[in-house]
Amino acid sequence: MKTLDQTSSLFWLLVSISVLVESTRLGIGTLHDPGMGFLTFGASGIMGILSLIVFFQATLKKDHVKAEPFFAGPLWKRVIFVLILLVIWSRVMPELGYLISTFLLMGFLYWVLERKKIWLVLLASVLTTLFTYLVFSKWLNCQFPEGLFGF
Amino acid sequence: MGLFDSIYFGFQVTFQPINILFCGVGVLVGTLVGVLPGIGPAGAMALLLPATFKFSPTSTLILLAGIYYGVQYGGSTTSILVNIPGEASSVITCIDGYQMARQGRAGPALGIAAWGSFIAGTIANIGLMLVSLPLAHAALRFGPPEYFALMCMGLVIVTYLAQGSILKAIMMALLGLILGSIGLDLITGLPRFTFGINELSDGVGIIPLVMGLFGISEIFENLEKSLDREIFKTRIKNLMPSLKDWGEAKWAIVRGSLIGFVLGILPGGGAVVATFVTYAIEKKISKHPERFGHGAIEGVAAPESANNAAAGGSLIPLLSLGIPPNPIMAIFFSALLIHGIQPGPLLIKQSPELFWGLVASLYLGNTLLLVLNLPLIGMWVKVLKIPYKILFPLILLFCLIGAYSINNVVFDLYVMILFGFVGWIMRKFGYEGAPLILAYVLGPLLENALRQSLLISRGSFLIFVSRPISAVALVFALLVLLSNVFPYFKKQRAKYEEFKE
Repeated sequence: MKTLDQTSSLFWLLVSISVLVESTRLGIGTLHDPGMGFLTFGASGIMGILSLIVFFQATLKKDHVKAEPFFAGPLWKRVIFVLILLVIWSRVMPELGYLISTFLLMGFLYWVLERKKIWLVLLASVLTTLFTYLVFSKWLNCQFPEGLFGF
Repeated sequence: MGLFDSIYFGFQVTFQPINILFCGVGVLVGTLVGVLPGIGPAGAMALLLPATFKFSPTSTLILLAGIYYGVQYGGSTTSILVNIPGEASSVITCIDGYQMARQGRAGPALGIAAWGSFIAGTIANIGLMLVSLPLAHAALRFGPPEYFALMCMGLVIVTYLAQGSILKAIMMALLGLILGSIGLDLITGLPRFTFGINELSDGVGIIPLVMGLFGISEIFENLEKSLDREIFKTRIKNLMPSLKDWGEAKWAIVRGSLIGFVLGILPGGGAVVATFVTYAIEKKISKHPERFGHGAIEGVAAPESANNAAAGGSLIPLLSLGIPPNPIMAIFFSALLIHGIQPGPLLIKQSPELFWGLVASLYLGNTLLLVLNLPLIGMWVKVLKIPYKILFPLILLFCLIGAYSINNVVFDLYVMILFGFVGWIMRKFGYEGAPLILAYVLGPLLENALRQSLLISRGSFLIFVSRPISAVALVFALLVLLSNVFPYFKKQRAKYEEFKE
């Protein structure tokens, strides 16, 4: 936990400094006439101080327990894989259209946890895609992009 | 209109077919969300919100309220049968609920949870009607300093009650304030922290933010671990508690309802805290405290009553003062704003159909929960058996569709995915999302109140201590913050943490 706290507090310190600089640029104003950056200046200032306290608390803490690695076990790769899939889906959905892109996304997502029965994965992907299309597009009138192929 | 005329009017609103449908869908979805892992009430509400844009604000609020107290009910089913809480507010029910199931008393445990929820919900509704009106009337005299102080108090209590480090919770609240300030400045109308991105002019959307922090991040967390759940195999019979059970649980239900209601009203309070407090009290005043942890029915009745009463109580500050006391109410708040309704003291006067319709729907929803869910318990048990490998792609897809369908822009998807990743990392580092969400929603209101107060006082901060209500609220907030420094309170907090653990 010690290293995690040190790392995270330094990250938040950087965030607070960036916000502090941007708030100053926006204009803090005066107490009589607070500017656009007034609240964020105060918030980021306090955040910076707190992140320093967390950092020093973590540094001075006698932590003999060996910290668990941040990405423990083999399953974190699954998360990264799903994360990448989501970004790709968001990127290609307007071009490929909802039906094709969602079928592909569902196929990969089901495949992440069930790799043995491919026919089952394909069937589940088709059913999920069609079901959500019917519910959201036809019944709830959500407007999904049609994409290159017009569907 | 008198009170009874208003209630009658409320029932006329609620019994419109669309509102009955929304209430029914709300409680069923809420129960489903409570039963299933991977998506909490905040994520579910955010998910369904875009689908309500075509409907009236009253129907929307009825749906969201149904989800909220449906979740409180559904969470108890998993706590009792699986020993895994569906929701945070059902954590404490695991202790005695699961023990009752192991002793072959799953039926009475589920039954008393349902009846306790029903009774508590009804008590909370009555309280909501009685407290909201005078509070809204009194709040008409509140100025910016009072609002600023009350919001500060709410934020401080939320951070104090956060799990783990208070410092980290405060940092998250501050981050929420910063995120809430993204977009056009309220006074000058100029862009702030938008970095030239047009989509950020309206700020970061609450729905992608909530879905990311609470929905996507939870799925990521679950993906990292094996989620094979073992349901305790027992025949669920005697759902109606016996007279002996009622005798043991009746006062626990009453106490749980009252404590839950009061804690629900307090800014920063909510269903989770209420369950811990009531359980601790029941154990303390019991003549046989040794039964707790070994299947005491009071250990199920009290927290299950408390979480439903708190759900009702937490509507009061939102509807009377326009201040959401917890992150769930922050979503209610956003829903009202999206529908063009300004929550606050004038809401009851200006939108009586919304307030009284909501109140009446709470009665209907509570009854529906009892009537529908006890006979449907077998179905919820079957839902519990759905493997996570089928659920998680569906939940992810619903989140994606929900985020996209708000504005039909891909940018919202990126925001949701980004906050999903950030939320997952935050969980690993021990940072909580709840203070962030509450501060994000309160941020613009807080800033407005602060700037207006300083304009009124010509730059003097003394305005916050020279007015009694704001002074009391700020002193209370300060005491809460300082309490962590004093050894006695430090010890109490350590006990609270240990208890939660």
